[in-house]
Amino acid sequence: MSTSRLLFDEPGPQARRRIRVATALTLLAGAVLVALALRQFADNGQLAADRWRPYGTWPMWRYLLEGLRSTLYAAAASIALAMAAGIVLALGRLSPARWLRIPSAAYVEIVRTIPALLLVYVVLFALPKYGLDLPLFWKLVVPLSVSNAAAFAEIFRAGIRSVERGQLEAGLALGLTRGRAMRLIVLPQAARRVLPSLVSQSAGLLKDTSLGFVVSYAELLYSGKVLANYNHLLIQTYLVIALIYLVINASLAKLARTLEARQRTRPSRAVREAAPAAQSLSGGTTPQTPR
Amino acid sequence: MDVITDHLGEFGDGLLLTAELTLLALAGALAAGIIVAAMRVSPVRVLRAAGMAYVEVLQNIPLLVWLVIAVFGLPEIGVIAGLFTTSAVVIALYQGAYTAEAIRSGINAVPAGQGEAARALGLTFVQSLRLVVLPQALRTVVQPLGNIAIMTLMNTALAAAVGVVELTAAANRVNLAEAQPIWIFVTAGLAYMALSAVFGLVTGGLERKLAILR
Amino acid sequence: MIMVRTPAGMRRAAVAAVAALSLTGLAACSGGDSGSAVPGSGGGKTDDLAASAPVASNLPAGSTMEKIKKRGELIVGGSLDAPLLSQQNPATKKVEGLDADFGRLLAKYIIGEPKVKIVNSASETREALLSNGTVDVVLQTYSITPERAEQVAFAGPYYSSGLVVATKKDETGIKAPADLKGRTVIAGANTPAIPAIKKAAPDAKILTFGSDPECVQALKQGRGDAYVQDQAILLATAKQDPSIKIQGEPFTSDPYGIGLKHGDTQMKQFVNDWLKKIEASGLWAKTWKNSIGTVVEGDAPQPPAIGSAKGSE
Repeated sequence: MSTSRLLFDEPGPQARRRIRVATALTLLAGAVLVALALRQFADNGQLAADRWRPYGTWPMWRYLLEGLRSTLYAAAASIALAMAAGIVLALGRLSPARWLRIPSAAYVEIVRTIPALLLVYVVLFALPKYGLDLPLFWKLVVPLSVSNAAAFAEIFRAGIRSVERGQLEAGLALGLTRGRAMRLIVLPQAARRVLPSLVSQSAGLLKDTSLGFVVSYAELLYSGKVLANYNHLLIQTYLVIALIYLVINASLAKLARTLEARQRTRPSRAVREAAPAAQSLSGGTTPQTPR
Repeated sequence: MDVITDHLGEFGDGLLLTAELTLLALAGALAAGIIVAAMRVSPVRVLRAAGMAYVEVLQNIPLLVWLVIAVFGLPEIGVIAGLFTTSAVVIALYQGAYTAEAIRSGINAVPAGQGEAARALGLTFVQSLRLVVLPQALRTVVQPLGNIAIMTLMNTALAAAVGVVELTAAANRVNLAEAQPIWIFVTAGLAYMALSAVFGLVTGGLERKLAILR
Repeated sequence: MIMVRTPAGMRRAAVAAVAALSLTGLAACSGGDSGSAVPGSGGGKTDDLAASAPVASNLPAGSTMEKIKKRGELIVGGSLDAPLLSQQNPATKKVEGLDADFGRLLAKYIIGEPKVKIVNSASETREALLSNGTVDVVLQTYSITPERAEQVAFAGPYYSSGLVVATKKDETGIKAPADLKGRTVIAGANTPAIPAIKKAAPDAKILTFGSDPECVQALKQGRGDAYVQDQAILLATAKQDPSIKIQGEPFTSDPYGIGLKHGDTQMKQFVNDWLKKIEASGLWAKTWKNSIGTVVEGDAPQPPAIGSAKGSE
């Protein structure tokens, strides 16, 4: 961690002693807190073996893992749709034509200030009244795509703007049309530069699929709800689910960091400045990794 | 339009609760973010690890899951608080992880010479962080913090799932009674847009005032 | 996967990101479909019920029932998370309970085999599911009301339930719905309990949660003074958790009907005939014993008269 060297030097003997004391105190405080919480938890019977045994059995895990599979399906479909729409919106917002630029900008600016849950309610309660009753899967995927498209659009826009103007101009000079130059020259470079942001936005979207809980689409969290209804182990079930999310998302975050580390070998400071500004609607701001 | 005027009180209460929830969560997130960011750049390795674990664990579990666990799990470890308080604290801690990352990137953007100069003057770690580095770091991250503020506003809607009747839940309840979804949800959407616009103006103003050109 | 046509490089990047995501996921859930359902565990009784169930002798040509028979399965709008009525057993994947059993028996009557596919329907959209033909029938604590009857046809009622008030065991101040005045009352989100509480105690503060165990946990933790829910569900809860007590008798009457497509009088008649048949043969009582009867002592109640509820005439 070279960055953390900013605020302190190599510690001398006195500082080392103080660090040791601070370490001991931190560990002690942490241990006491955990012990107190665990004791109270056990006093309430939540640690009883009976309450945890079901999660040592395969059928429970199988049920939850099937929920996870649905989570991944919903996430993959939403990511594909939201990214595609995001590219279109980013290009629209950067287009020289007003009639494209204004609606694209309006979409992004409006949608990014509307909670995904409100969009879910619209699809759940408003659309069926007007004859559009989507299957459960799409009741989750459509609002998530609509809301995340705005975030993806901002990421792509940052990426496209980070590509030096000369690239586009060189393409035009070669006789390519603007569209072809964008497609063949600018977009591929832009996408590569914002890949880490795309991955972390996708991880945020994966978290957003937990709204299936509201939609009653059988993703991971809703499966937990059904399971808790069956075995009455509310707290244990949600803790296990939290653990599953943690493992999946931590792997994705690691992937994003690996991609970014690989990226850092290429100089593109501008995009790293721009990309963190692109933000998620309810899921994840781009995790800023140390520069 | 009658649906809206008839239920103005419910919408107003919801809007107020959303605004309160957002502001409380933001204040908490800023406090948590500064503390965690400081932990992550501190010379004590355990603190650095704890800060990192905090960010990883908070960011990688959906807020909805955190809310449900906190509301139903905390009383089991002896922490009993109201739904509003619990939601505000959970959202604050969750957004705190994102805030910490934003502030840390701000700290890393402060030129190394600033920290060295502070130490040369004999300032301790906490002093140099508080007096020299943080003020500069925070100025550079006004824009990302503004985005976090809007994200926080969006995320307060999830408190609806644990029984807090904020704007989204209020709209849903009015709709259950009146069954006029379009007007009701459009009104709620406009209210959210208005709130975000306020945040946008505040952030923009702050940024113009505080921006450091490098 | 739907994908709007995009420039090639971009598409590659997008696909790479999606693929990376799916890979992480697949690694974690590769065991997901390798194990098959545990055969025969649980639900054995349900199979007995179906074994003795009647099969319709002939189906009118061109009827909805004939179409269902040709398809080979009955598509039912139902729940997965209503204990005793329609609750999925995670070990067997089978949906168990009164509503689920009636679904299977109806399928046997039409098709000759108890083949059912349950479409999980959020309670707000059942009318739409029926009118656009996504499901053949709705069996999901679907209370018959004249308003709903304008959009769907109701066979039945096949069961009569009602809302009851539950409290912690040591609560003494709440004996009847009127005692909820000024109290904090817990209810399931989007359930009929919300308007019922408003009617019984207009100034009660209503606190909603997404599922039954959440409501129970909230009651036990003192977040509310009482919990209003369907009697069948609360009976199961109170039996399983001795710290919860049911106060008094149901204060509403909810006749559950079998939702059918609006205007399909032929099928309505057909389903009503089937209900009369199983009620007369004692199969109705056996079905009740198999689900609600596992938590309620005594004999099965008298089923409500067919067509007795307003909206089911």
